[in-house]
Amino acid sequence: MSALRDLVRLPVDALEFSNILLTTGDAEIGTSPHDVVWTHRKTTLYRYRSSSRRHAVPVLLVFALINRPQIFDLRPGNSFVEHLLEAGFDVFLLDWGEPDEEDADMGLGEYVCDELEWGIRECSRAAGGTEVTLLGWCIGGTLVAMHAALEPGAPVRNLVLLTTPIDTRGSLYAQWVGRKAFDADRIADAMPALPGTGIDFANKLMKPVTNYWTTYRKLWQQVRRGEAQRSAYQSMAKWVADNPPFPAKAYREWITWMYKENRLFEGTLRLRNRRVDLGRIERPLLVVTAGADHIAPPEGTRPLLELVSSQDVTHLDRPGGHIGLMAGSKARAEVWPEIVEWLQERSAAR
Amino acid sequence: MAEPSALESVEARLAKATEKLVASGPFSEVLAFTAGNLAVIVRKGGGVADSAVRGLRIAGRRDVVAFGRQLARTEDKLERVLQEVEALQDELRAQNRKQSRKKS
Repeated sequence: MSALRDLVRLPVDALEFSNILLTTGDAEIGTSPHDVVWTHRKTTLYRYRSSSRRHAVPVLLVFALINRPQIFDLRPGNSFVEHLLEAGFDVFLLDWGEPDEEDADMGLGEYVCDELEWGIRECSRAAGGTEVTLLGWCIGGTLVAMHAALEPGAPVRNLVLLTTPIDTRGSLYAQWVGRKAFDADRIADAMPALPGTGIDFANKLMKPVTNYWTTYRKLWQQVRRGEAQRSAYQSMAKWVADNPPFPAKAYREWITWMYKENRLFEGTLRLRNRRVDLGRIERPLLVVTAGADHIAPPEGTRPLLELVSSQDVTHLDRPGGHIGLMAGSKARAEVWPEIVEWLQERSAAR
Repeated sequence: MAEPSALESVEARLAKATEKLVASGPFSEVLAFTAGNLAVIVRKGGGVADSAVRGLRIAGRRDVVAFGRQLARTEDKLERVLQEVEALQDELRAQNRKQSRKKS
């Protein structure tokens, strides 16, 4: 009887499965109400207002140059932004936008010394002249660390770095792009804005079976069991597929300086003729790594703990992958409360 | 915890094997050369298409990008002027506050 029922259900399940895949693009992500505070070229600073603000220091979220920052506000009920607002923080988000060929002149110097620096300034002004907490994720974390090393006098109270590459030795990325055969200059010269789909393909190629097969097999099994979580799957799948282009200058510098020469860790990185010395970071620092992160492995982030001069350093190493750590099913119950608790202790008015 | 099915076991083994493969030197070498070649092919293809469009006296990609760059440069300058204005406003406000405190 069960086998017969399974057989009858098969076409229905196939239709539901294909419907979930076909309508993924219609999923709504990043829906928390927000205002535009400031824009410059493709960068936009958004503000999310807490209806029960209890902490003087707002949180400024900074995401990577690849993928979109909506991962911070994925869907109602599973949004880090929502979680921070409920905890009484005002939240700001710096969105790098969709760079195109005209933005080929945007390099790490422009992102760190202009866009991020000005975004912090505008955030502080909008919040009434207060200090802010900078929270960076992935490349966003690296940009935040670079800025903190260059600008010790900026109005920044705390730093939170999530799955952030610092020392790239031994990583799979370094194995791929660190070799002589990988000519980052040729690629950057040929394409003023590297297509996001190419970067996404490389990311997925790190775990080809998991990304190109297992994800769909699991969804199919969930549909067969009648347990498919449509909105959870679609919001994440939509976010994963949304890849903005990488400006050529930033790409060239990121690959060469971070992966071929490991300059940030070695202390030889210079932006706008100023050395980026991580030892100049003195602010309270929370570093979160993910045990199963294959994009920014924990061993590539941990050296930061020894390099900074901060007296107040906390390191959380939690199970999960590069994105799953903060956006997975357990993040809301496990990782977010720990981050919020750390922030609450360091966000009082002075 | 349910036992993995035969398919899942095969899948897990295949996943491990492919991850080992993509982390190998030869694969990285192939990937590196492929990426470089692909970038050049895309540039050349784009260049040919753009020349054809421009030949028809229609603004091509190059013209649009040049225009975009000019706009971006103008916005850079405007941003710096705005920052100067805001700094002056802050200074003026601080001076006014000081003066009103002195008067009272």
